[in-house]
Amino acid sequence: MNVIEIKKLTKNYGKARGIIDVDLNVEQGEVFGFIGPNGAGKSTTIRTLLGLIYPTSGSATIFGKNCTESPEVRKELGYLPSEVFYYDNMKVIDLLKYSASFYHKDCTNRIKELAEIMDLDLKKKIDELSFGNKKKVGIVQGLLHEPKLIILDEPTSGLDPLMQQKFFELIEEENKKGATVFFSSHILTEVQRLCNRVAFIKEGRIIKVEKMSTLQENTYKRINIEAKAGISSEAFNLRGVSDFTAKGNTANFIFKGNMNDMIRKLSEVELRNISITEPDLEEIFLNYYAKEE
Amino acid sequence: MNIFLYEIKSLYKSTLIWICSLIGLSALFLSVYPSMTEDAAGLREIIGGYPEAVRAMLGINLDYITSILGFYSMIFSFVILAGAVQAMNLGLAMLTRESRERTADFLLVKPVSRFTIVTSKLCASLTLIIATNIAFSAISAWIANRVKIEAFDGKLFFMINLTLLFVQLIFLALGMVISLFFKKLKAVLPVSLSIVIGIYMIGVLFATDKEDVIRFLSPFRYFDITYIIENASYEGIYLITGAVIMAVSIISGYLIYIRKDIHA
Repeated sequence: MNVIEIKKLTKNYGKARGIIDVDLNVEQGEVFGFIGPNGAGKSTTIRTLLGLIYPTSGSATIFGKNCTESPEVRKELGYLPSEVFYYDNMKVIDLLKYSASFYHKDCTNRIKELAEIMDLDLKKKIDELSFGNKKKVGIVQGLLHEPKLIILDEPTSGLDPLMQQKFFELIEEENKKGATVFFSSHILTEVQRLCNRVAFIKEGRIIKVEKMSTLQENTYKRINIEAKAGISSEAFNLRGVSDFTAKGNTANFIFKGNMNDMIRKLSEVELRNISITEPDLEEIFLNYYAKEE
Repeated sequence: MNIFLYEIKSLYKSTLIWICSLIGLSALFLSVYPSMTEDAAGLREIIGGYPEAVRAMLGINLDYITSILGFYSMIFSFVILAGAVQAMNLGLAMLTRESRERTADFLLVKPVSRFTIVTSKLCASLTLIIATNIAFSAISAWIANRVKIEAFDGKLFFMINLTLLFVQLIFLALGMVISLFFKKLKAVLPVSLSIVIGIYMIGVLFATDKEDVIRFLSPFRYFDITYIIENASYEGIYLITGAVIMAVSIISGYLIYIRKDIHA
């Protein structure tokens, strides 16, 4: 069963581009990553799905229903927005209780549990909280009613690494209990850990939907090397190398493929320095997906 | 129901302040009534010296100025003006609160329809307006009875007070629909003040004549207190106009808000 179904979804903002013909299905129990650079249309897609904005054409449903026509389907939805803002003049616990009151079930225990996991002080006033702590309020708020569908828009921004870790564990746990998870991010590695499938969006269009297992076979690395002697432009004429620039003793490129092949290749060169980093998504798009189209 | 209660909870403090201010305003003026009437002729002379336009603006009718109803009607133009600001504030704030406090991503993804959200918020604001009017009417009637020199018609007094409710309802509805034309309403009060004072000035400056069609443009002029005192009734055509403005504003408020794209 598809929990999320998005069909030919288009949203124009006047002349500005929104999203064009987005097609996506998320199956029950799946963790689905939605990857794209800032401004690609991730939030627009999510907001249309949630019924916050109206599509120009096409449709977006959760549990087979449209959120604007049947708002009650959102009972099973937990949403964490990318930027969290709450009614400031309120205590954390009051906000969470207000949130719980929409779901007609007792969430007190779950609130306590989640607050403990996320290390959140329930008695504080919301305007006294730091950005990271507000984000925690958002996480608890999004999960307190044990939703069957969890939608997260750039969930980890503002969380320190330890909290990110806890947060991912929490999401994994919810997923094990049967919740479907849909989350957007512009950081591929963040998604890699959790997701079964990922969709790439760029300039308002879905470029590719891929299984994580396929993606994991292809790790992307940006490699910078400085050799003792000059590097010829043919030296790294290997499958999976792109965006290759060589200048004197230095070379710079992205590699997609089996790491071992690359290490073997690198060992042939007398190196002075090397750095291997995660390329940002923009680079991956530009060098692989955009070309494949 | 939870939205309704939440809205009441977050607005009741400012409503209390408004109630106190309105009552204070009326109490202040009423308290000087006994001493004013001691020299009725002198008072009439002084007020008579005001330009016609100013008298019209304040709703003063020289024939009644020394009676408590006449005197009260003069005070009342200030009360109505303040009350209109209160109602306009509530109206403007009602549906823009989520975008101002950026809490739309919280409320509008809850399993409630936008229709329910608007209804709950509207009911909360109406409740507060009605509470304001009940408190104001009761206490000002009590004060008037304290300071009266001769008996006055309680029904007329109530009818005058009731115009506060009418004007507030019109401004609440206007505020609700006007707010939706702002892309982002950052601060309510400055906008509220300029709209209310603008409408007030139209009524005062351009609609000097009672039969003037421009009167329709300013709800402040819909309820002529001299007319109420003389006829013990409201002017039907303006009552209907007010009701139509309210209905149109509220219905279009619903339609616009329900169809609106909510951005982060």
